[in-house]
Amino acid sequence: MRKYLARRALFALGTLVGVSLIIFVVLRVLPGDPLVAILGVEGQASMTPADRVRIMHDLGLSDPLPVQYVHWVRDIATGKLGKSFFRGDTVADLIFHRGPISAEIALLALVVSWLVGLPVGIVSAIKPNSWADNLARSAAILFIAIPGFWLGMLIVLGLLFWFGYKSPIIIVHFWQSPWQNLQIVIGPAIVLGLAQGAYIARMSRSCLLEVIREDYVRTARAKGAQERHVVLGHALPNALLPVITISGVLLGFVLGGSVAVEQAFGVPGLGRSLVTALIERDIIVVQNLVLLYAAIFVVVNFAVDLSYAWLDPRIRYA
Amino acid sequence: MSDQPTSGRGRLSRRTFLRAAGVTGAAALGPAVLRRRAEAQETPSPIRPDPAAKHGGTLRYGVLSAPAHFDVHQSGTVANIGAQSPMYDCLIRRDPRDGQSVIPDLAWKWDISPDGKKYTFYLRKGVKFHDGADFTAEDVKATYERIVRPPKGVVIPRSSLFTTVGDIVVLDPHRIEFRLTEPRPRAFMLGSFASGWNIIVRKKSLDDNQGNLRQVMNYPGTGPFKHVSRQDKEVWIMERNANYWNKGLPYLDRLEVYHLAPFSPELGSSFLAGKIDYARLLDPVSWRKAKEMPNVTAVAFNQSVIQAFWMNMKKKPLADPRVRRAIHLAMDRPTLVEVVKDTAPMQIGGFVYPFHEMSTPKAELVKRLGYQTDIKPAVQEARRLMKEAGYGQGIKGLDFVVRDIQTFKLWAVAIQAMLKEHINIECNLRTVQTSVWFDEAAAGHFDLAISAIVSSLMDPSDYFTAWYGQYGPQNYSGWNNEQFQALAKQIERELDDSKRKAMVRKAEDILEQDPPLIPIAYEQIYDAYYNKVKGQNPSTFFGIYDVCRWDNVWLAQS
Repeated sequence: MRKYLARRALFALGTLVGVSLIIFVVLRVLPGDPLVAILGVEGQASMTPADRVRIMHDLGLSDPLPVQYVHWVRDIATGKLGKSFFRGDTVADLIFHRGPISAEIALLALVVSWLVGLPVGIVSAIKPNSWADNLARSAAILFIAIPGFWLGMLIVLGLLFWFGYKSPIIIVHFWQSPWQNLQIVIGPAIVLGLAQGAYIARMSRSCLLEVIREDYVRTARAKGAQERHVVLGHALPNALLPVITISGVLLGFVLGGSVAVEQAFGVPGLGRSLVTALIERDIIVVQNLVLLYAAIFVVVNFAVDLSYAWLDPRIRYA
Repeated sequence: MSDQPTSGRGRLSRRTFLRAAGVTGAAALGPAVLRRRAEAQETPSPIRPDPAAKHGGTLRYGVLSAPAHFDVHQSGTVANIGAQSPMYDCLIRRDPRDGQSVIPDLAWKWDISPDGKKYTFYLRKGVKFHDGADFTAEDVKATYERIVRPPKGVVIPRSSLFTTVGDIVVLDPHRIEFRLTEPRPRAFMLGSFASGWNIIVRKKSLDDNQGNLRQVMNYPGTGPFKHVSRQDKEVWIMERNANYWNKGLPYLDRLEVYHLAPFSPELGSSFLAGKIDYARLLDPVSWRKAKEMPNVTAVAFNQSVIQAFWMNMKKKPLADPRVRRAIHLAMDRPTLVEVVKDTAPMQIGGFVYPFHEMSTPKAELVKRLGYQTDIKPAVQEARRLMKEAGYGQGIKGLDFVVRDIQTFKLWAVAIQAMLKEHINIECNLRTVQTSVWFDEAAAGHFDLAISAIVSSLMDPSDYFTAWYGQYGPQNYSGWNNEQFQALAKQIERELDDSKRKAMVRKAEDILEQDPPLIPIAYEQIYDAYYNKVKGQNPSTFFGIYDVCRWDNVWLAQS
C-alpha cells in the first residue's frame, strides 16, 4: 500500500511539474502586453523604451525564462505564490479570500449532482423504457447540452425581471452570514450540479441495469427481499463504483465550468479571477490558479482511486 | 405696542446711526469692495454647502473600480479615478454642478499674468491630509513636478498638457507660481490644472516611494472621504472626512464603491435590483429599463473618447489621401450608430468633438458628405476618388485588426461589408485581445484597425497632438500633413478664442480631405440613479474623469 501511495504521489508530482512547465511557457509565448493593462492605453502609448525596460525589470519579466521559473517555484515553496503584477496582492491572499466561495460552489454542485442524478438513474434503471425513464433521459440530455453560462444568465435575468432579485454583489463567507452566502453559491451550484447530475443519472442507470441482472440480485429477490432493499441494499453499492470514478472526473468539469458560470452569475470566485487575470495578462495570477486547479484535479482523482478499496473489498493495492 | 426703541427729535437713533455708519463705511471701503468683487468675478466661489441638504447615509456607487495599480497620476482609466477621486482634491476643479466651469479647490484664488506666462495659485490655509499632516505649497510643487516631468519608470499620460510649464516656484507656504516658457490659451491651461487626474498628493508620499505610487493603496489625500477598507475587485469603502476644509461637506457618512464593469449585466442587474444607488456606464438595455422606473433618473452625457478606424500609411494604397477619403466617405455612419445601439450609446461626429464649441455644428456636419443619412452622394464621390487614385477595381486582402470588444466586433463586420459594397475593398478580420491590439497598432502590424482612444480635455490642442501629431502616441496610422502640423502649432499658441475657432475649422477641412483616421462615432455615457440621490446632475459633464468626488451629493432618505 505504501509503495502504491508513493508511486501515485510521484506520478501526481510529475503531472503538476508538467502542467507548471506548460502553463509557464504558454503564458510567455502568447502575444499581449501586460503594460497596457497596468498603465492604460494612454500610459502605454506615451511610455519611452527606457520606461518599458525599467517597468518590465521591476515586474521580473526581463529575467531569462529559467530564472523566472525558478522564482515561481520559490514563491510556491514559500506559500505566497507570487504577487499580482498590478496591485501587489499575493496570489495566496486571493485564493484564501475567493477560494472558499469556489470550493463551496464545487462541493454543493457535486451534492446537487448526486441528489438529482442518483434518484433519476435508479428510477430509470428499475423501470426501463417507461415514461419516467424517457422523461429522465430526455432531461439528462437537455442538461448536458445546455451551456452552463447560458442557463446561468437565464436564471439571473429571470430572477431580476420577475422578482427584482439579485444575489449579493460582494463575497459574503459562510461564517459571516450563512443566508447571504447561500444566495451567492446556490445558483452556480444548481446550474453546475444539474449538468453533472445528468452524467451521474446516465452512468448510474447503465450500471444499475447491468447489476440488476446479476445472479446475486436475482437470489435476493428469490429470497423474498423487498424490491427497495434489493435495489438500494444489494444492487446500488456495487453499481456505485463507476459513478464515484466519474464523480472525480466531473469535479474537474465543475472546476472548469465554474469559470464561465461564476462569470454568468457575477460571483467573485476564483473562476472569475482567472478570467480577469487572463484579460489583464496578469500571468502570475493565471499560472498559479491554473496550477491550483490542476492540483485539485490530481488530488481528487487520487482520492477517488484510494476510495475504491474502501468501497469494494475485492480491490487491494499492491 | 412696538418693541422698536423710540428716539426724540435731534437725537441720533440706533437705526440712523447704523445707516450713517453704513454709508460712511461703504464710501470709505468702496474701492476695496469693488476690487474684491472684481477678484471674485475672476475667481469663482467653491462649492458651498446647500442648507437644504441632509447629512448622513451611505451611497452605494457601482462603477469599474478594480485598478491595475493605485497611482492616479499614472492611470488613464475610470478604474482608478472612479474609486480614488473622493479621497483627494485638486488645485482647482470642474464645478460638479455643471461639469464645465472651473472653480477653486485647494487653491482659493489664482492670478494669471497679463502675458499669460505666470499662473499664481493662492492655497488654502489649515488644510490637513488624512494622516494629519499640513498641506503646503511644497506638496503642490512635488505633485506637479512629477506630472510635468515624471521620474524614470513613471509614465503620466497628461504630462503633455504641461509641456510649456518651466519652473514651478514656491513663493511662500501657501502661494505657488507656475512659469510657462510660452503662453497657452487660458481655458486650455486652467482646464489642464482642473483635470480630475491631477490630484494633490503629499510630497512625503512621493519621497517615501521613489516617486512611484503604483503599489501604494492608501496614500493620504485631503479629500472629502477617507479610506476605510478595500476588497480587490469587490468594494472600496470610505468614510466622511470630519476635518474636511470645506466645512459642512461632504454630506454622506459613508461611500461604498462597488466594482461593476461598464455595460455589464452585473452592473445593470445590481442597479435594477436596488443593490446600488448610482450606476455609471450602464448598458443601453438596462439604461432604457431604468428610465422607465418612476423613482429613477437616467441621464446621458458626452464621453471624452473617439471611436476610430486607422489606415496604415506604410501600405501603398492607404498612403494615398484619395483612398483614405474614399474610405471615410464609404462609412454609413447613421447605420454604424444603429448597429451598436444595444451595446453602447454613440453619436456621429467629425475630427473634433462634435459637442465642442469650436467644431463644425452638428446641423452643418450632417449636410456634409460622409455624415449624411442618404449616403448615395458620398458613395458616388468615394468611387470617383478610388478611380482617380488608380484603384477603381478595388483593393483586396487588407488585414483588418479588430479589438476584442463587442462594439468593435459588431462594427468590424458592418465596415467590412460597407467597404466591399461601396468601394470594393476586401479585408480579412483579425480579432485580437486589447493588449495585443495596442501592440499591433504601435508596431504598425495592420492595414486597417478599429478601436477607441481618449483625451483629457475637450480642447482640440490636447488631442491634435496626441491623435494627429506626426509623433503623436496615438497616431497609429503614421500620418503626417505639414500644413496641418503647422496649423496645430498655431492653434496651440493662439490666445484669441475666435481666431482659434477659425483655425480649428480650417484644420477640420484639412483632416476631411486627408484623414489621419476615420471617426466612426463618439461615445456617450449612460448613468442612472435613484431619485433619493441629490446634488448630482451629470447631463452636462464631459467624460467621467473630472467630476467624481461626491462631496456635494446627499441622500434624501438616509
